[in-house]
Amino acid sequence: MIYDEPKFLPGGDRYITVEFGNEMNLELNFKAQGLAAALALSGTKGLVESAPCFATLLVHYEPRDISYDNMVRELKSLCASLGSADEIEMDSRLFTFETLYLDPWTKECIDDYREKINPDKDYDPDFVARLNGLEDRHQLVRVHSGSEYWVASLGFWPGLPFLQPLDPRAMITCPKYNPPRTHTPQGAVGMGGSASSIYPVATPGGYQLFGRTPVPIWDTTKRFDVFEGDIVLFRPGDRIKFLPVTRDVYDQAARKIEEGTYIYNVFEYQKFSVRNYNQWVSKLDKSERF
Amino acid sequence: MLEIIKPGLETSIQDFPGRIGYWNQGFPPSGPMDSWSFRLANILVGNDAGAPGLEAQFMGPTLKFQSDGVIAVTGANMVPKVDGEEIPMWESVAVKAGQTLVMGPAFQGARGYLAVAGGIDAPEWLGSAATFHKAGVGGLDGSAIKAGQVLPVKAGAGQTGRRVKQACRPQFASDKQWHIEAVAGPNDDWIDAAGHERFLSTAWKLEARSDRTGYRLDGPDWTFTEKATNKPPENGVFPSNIVDHGYPLGGINLCGQKPIILVNDGPSMGGFIVPYTVPSAAFWKLGQMKPNEFIHFSRVSVAEAQALRIELDDLCDEESIES
Repeated sequence: MIYDEPKFLPGGDRYITVEFGNEMNLELNFKAQGLAAALALSGTKGLVESAPCFATLLVHYEPRDISYDNMVRELKSLCASLGSADEIEMDSRLFTFETLYLDPWTKECIDDYREKINPDKDYDPDFVARLNGLEDRHQLVRVHSGSEYWVASLGFWPGLPFLQPLDPRAMITCPKYNPPRTHTPQGAVGMGGSASSIYPVATPGGYQLFGRTPVPIWDTTKRFDVFEGDIVLFRPGDRIKFLPVTRDVYDQAARKIEEGTYIYNVFEYQKFSVRNYNQWVSKLDKSERF
Repeated sequence: MLEIIKPGLETSIQDFPGRIGYWNQGFPPSGPMDSWSFRLANILVGNDAGAPGLEAQFMGPTLKFQSDGVIAVTGANMVPKVDGEEIPMWESVAVKAGQTLVMGPAFQGARGYLAVAGGIDAPEWLGSAATFHKAGVGGLDGSAIKAGQVLPVKAGAGQTGRRVKQACRPQFASDKQWHIEAVAGPNDDWIDAAGHERFLSTAWKLEARSDRTGYRLDGPDWTFTEKATNKPPENGVFPSNIVDHGYPLGGINLCGQKPIILVNDGPSMGGFIVPYTVPSAAFWKLGQMKPNEFIHFSRVSVAEAQALRIELDDLCDEESIES
């Protein structure tokens, strides 16, 4: 449910969780991100940082500069001034990522898991397609690449984005691996629950895998200006589009990345309006798939 | 300049308060686990309390000084010796170029700290030199120090013979029993009355599989309120599952039935409830615990935890030094 009034929950001496509801719903994340933006602009003394998640905003404050009660009062007043989620407008960058769906590297990774851990594990794209009533793995590619994705939060590993499809016709769900994998290739694209993601570096993982992008979202060597001095590419509120490409195009992008001449495909002039988004969603025939 | 002869078990460059401001990109702050001992070491040698120094875990390093300087060793007792001669801890000491410092296994406590006048000259990664080796970030090259490395030191002029007053030093448990404060929340209402009672009356054993990302505790199972079972399906299948949310540092994260205290290098978010949170003023105790020692939690209010934090910060000050 979406609460009428957000809940304020203490986390020790220096954190407050603002909880807007208890379900997965983009509206709740818009509220969390709207409050994060308003809080950053407010200049509240004692605010250290905040981090949005699906239905919550975690606020980190300095108890020497502001008490718990005063911070809650400040947050309540900011929530009240934000009004309904429809009023929220946010800067939102749009990234396009060349993606080789049904690629050989994640297939190798899945085959390895089948060989060593679970011989009955279906090939991930077939499993996800079947579970969601899609014709086959090729329709999964059409559906998954048909939507823009919203960076709801980052975590588990630094820079790992939790992505929600903005087009409800692209909503699919699947369980995570059990037990998890010990290895996932860098740049692997996959999903668990209703969240999609890109693996920033090679790590263990539990998402069903069905593609790979050569484009780095993690850079400790400052090779690409688009990181603006950060190590992690994304910020909450960014949007991502996966562009299905052929092996040739993938290899070409990978080569440019290797040489340091790759140009990131990013639009920075747009604002994301929750009202406009909700109006668009209300007009869609959600029974249709791509 | 410090030449690393032996790195010890896991010795890393840390600064305080660490890498702050990147929690929304999933970056933990890192920094010293026992920031009380760490800050006092820096103050002893005339540095800013948060300047980059070394944290040694369980087994200390062997280092050779390439120039004259002033150092201070605090935290766990690793019986520091310079050229075979034991040196006092909690005191600033002069060292000469060519001398060797050996820090051994930790006798009391778990983590030893070394500050050098001037501070270690390590590059800043997102505004901090703190090592977060799991992701290859911070320190000299993203990892713990290695044999053969040379750590540059900034120019500094420390004075010798400065001591931390006895009353201003942390006291480490000698009977393996640690009393650690915990604040209820953010998800305390998912645990039933019996569960809360059990949490506060149990001696929780720290498991060996604990590190700077999380402290795993061994103890009884938890019991829940209706909130844990009667919830929308996207919260997950276990009673302790919740829609992924941001984790407070110090959060006691209930992973299935296993409580894990999220510490300096911990994850920023995940799908398990956090019924209690260890406040910042108690982190030094976590930093000085060893596996197979025990935690007894005592419940404090937010206001009490904040008063403890301010008290601790006040101790990390020139006022605590005598000469």
